[in-house]
Amino acid sequence: VTAFRALFRKELLLLFGAPLAWAALSLVVLVTALIFFDHLRLYNQTIFLYSSTTMGSLDTDTIPDYVNLRDTVFFPVMETLGITLIGLIPLVTMRVFAEERARGTDELLLTTALTPARIVLAKFAAAYVFVALMMAASFVYPAMAIVQGGLGAQHLAAVFVGLTLHAIALASIGLACSAWTGSQLVAAVAGWALGFVIWDFEWVKSFRFVGETGSGLLDALSLHLHYGSFAEGIVDAGHLAYFVALAAITLAVAHFSFTWRRVAG
Amino acid sequence: VSGLALAGWIALAFGAGAYSAVGRAGWFSAANLALGMAALAIAAGRAVLRARGTAPPASRGALLRGLAGIALAGALGVGLERVAAASGWYTDWSFEQRTLLAPATLGALAELAPVEATIFRDPFDPRVRSTRLLLARLAKTGDLTWREKVIDEAPEDADRFEIRSSNSVVVEADGRFQVVDRPSEGTIYEALYHLRSRDLGVVYAARGAGEGQLDRTDGAGFSGLGAALETEGYAVREFVAQTGGEVPDDAVGLLIVGPQRMWRPEALAALERYLARGGRVIALLEPGTETGVETVLAEWGLASPNERVVDPASGSLAGEAPGWNPLVYGYADHPLARGLDDSRMTFFPGARPFELRKPRGDDTVAGVAFSSPRSFAVPAGAFSPDDAAEPAPDARVGARSLVVTGRYPREAGGAAVETRIAAFGDAGLASNHFLRSVYNLDLVLNAIHWTLEREPEITIRPKGVVSGRNQLPLPVQDSFTMFQGVGLLLPELLLLGAAWAWARGRGA
Repeated sequence: VTAFRALFRKELLLLFGAPLAWAALSLVVLVTALIFFDHLRLYNQTIFLYSSTTMGSLDTDTIPDYVNLRDTVFFPVMETLGITLIGLIPLVTMRVFAEERARGTDELLLTTALTPARIVLAKFAAAYVFVALMMAASFVYPAMAIVQGGLGAQHLAAVFVGLTLHAIALASIGLACSAWTGSQLVAAVAGWALGFVIWDFEWVKSFRFVGETGSGLLDALSLHLHYGSFAEGIVDAGHLAYFVALAAITLAVAHFSFTWRRVAG
Repeated sequence: VSGLALAGWIALAFGAGAYSAVGRAGWFSAANLALGMAALAIAAGRAVLRARGTAPPASRGALLRGLAGIALAGALGVGLERVAAASGWYTDWSFEQRTLLAPATLGALAELAPVEATIFRDPFDPRVRSTRLLLARLAKTGDLTWREKVIDEAPEDADRFEIRSSNSVVVEADGRFQVVDRPSEGTIYEALYHLRSRDLGVVYAARGAGEGQLDRTDGAGFSGLGAALETEGYAVREFVAQTGGEVPDDAVGLLIVGPQRMWRPEALAALERYLARGGRVIALLEPGTETGVETVLAEWGLASPNERVVDPASGSLAGEAPGWNPLVYGYADHPLARGLDDSRMTFFPGARPFELRKPRGDDTVAGVAFSSPRSFAVPAGAFSPDDAAEPAPDARVGARSLVVTGRYPREAGGAAVETRIAAFGDAGLASNHFLRSVYNLDLVLNAIHWTLEREPEITIRPKGVVSGRNQLPLPVQDSFTMFQGVGLLLPELLLLGAAWAWARGRGA
């Protein structure tokens, strides 16, 4: 347990000591703030337009019901952020395993009391903590705006849970990619590619050979569909389990990389 | 091996991309897909051979165990996801609790079952997600099945149903259909109601003394109430009461919405005669106006002095003094108030109180909705809404009845009849401006159903997605100020952290 904790702490220190991770963190915060405030501004302007003297919709309560926080702010913010995170999270995870492998320090790690499973767990846990902090920091402004408006704090919490799980899923994929290569660039590119592929299988569903069963299966695999439910303010056991399953599978894949290296070199 | 695998993935990506773009397997996509799969298969084979060649037989067991671990994690993961999805457990944190279906929707669905719904959509339309969610919740009742169709792939169906835009839902039951352009629980509920095509009779709306108009669409009009009545299955017609003519025989009830002038004596006499022969009247009175209808109601035990209720518990609205617009959360145990409780408020933009007295021993009069125990009444017109009203030293402070009902067994033409009256101390709550506020629509429609002896129709209806409050969370200028003031501070601090980490790394 002590060795595990030491490795976990070392991984956290490495993450917080890496300028690129800080840069990614500030970029996520900045992008979240920009996207959120831009949508809030557009939303408020739309309300302003409807409530202007000419239209007078605020007085007559005839503002169209699709102009609301969920459809005009939460929903598009989640969509844009979801895709943005696919690009940013692999920048954080790319070095976690790949750097050790490139330097050969992973061999040293294996000589400690830690089993490969514990090494993988410690690195995943440290990356998860960093990503969760990243999401928490990025949510300061949306939370402030919503709380100041006196609205939707619970809905915002659902959005936060969704975004954090989405970021953790992308981190899991990025970590699994990082575990299989010594090149940080390859790890990042593979993380992006897999992230974009798993994001939404709608394009595959257009293939003729994909029937109704195939479509259902692809929906079940699609990150977008599971993540999107949180934008609706719904926290669903099925969607939570999807993210747990994804983390478990990527952990197993990362763990297998150690076995593979030992056997196949 | 790595190079071959990478080439395989690239070929697969281009093959699949070309297939997706063109919509069929041309020579380019087919060749790329075939070559990609072959390259990946060869790379995998070579990797296995290499492992067999370099690894001692004992290590192969470790390799197999590792692969089994991935398979096990996959199986457990998929199993967990399937079990969790099948459990159907979820919690609704949305600010309008949109997945909690209204009893009215469930009732309409059960009445029409089986119902089929089809979402017509374009690929990648993100709005479909919330529609799917809604239909999935409706499908869980077992009375509805649903499916999706891509508009371009089902052009005949799209033409048949005259689909105008993506994310439209066609609701079908009993061989008939309704198209819902903007699916929400409220619009689907309306579609279900139209599919029921029921005929609950004709409600006449009194006219001629400045009553609210059920075809007037601005905020002060009552077109929303007219439309809601039609949705519920009533036909609404006008009745010019001031001619003194009798209420038509086909009337299931008479609606009197906020008269502004005194009714002529012959009109009041006709109203009396209608009530005496078992008529059904729903009267929405306004504080500060005397129309003669109050006198008739008082004869039936529902007296309404020309006062205005001030309820300090309700706070102020639009700069008016606190309490001028009572927010009601107290309801009697009465069929009319079924589903309403202290968490389901109704809003009265100004109200007059009622005082009850049974005209006969076998009559039943009852208060249904009450102001808070802190409320009191002041003479109408005695105070300006801009000034805080104070109770007179001898005034009674306590809950006041703002909605009252009466049932009166009578005999007319040798037959037993039952007269029913529901009276509101305010008409503004049913105006377009306030009808959809909180639970006003439910209170008004349920009162009408009760008066017309349609108790099974009493229900709580789906709420709209928004209210004015939800639609104005933050002034525009505040958004800018917040972003430019605080919004940029955190990223700046984090970038400074990056600079610190970089400088520290160089120093080391």
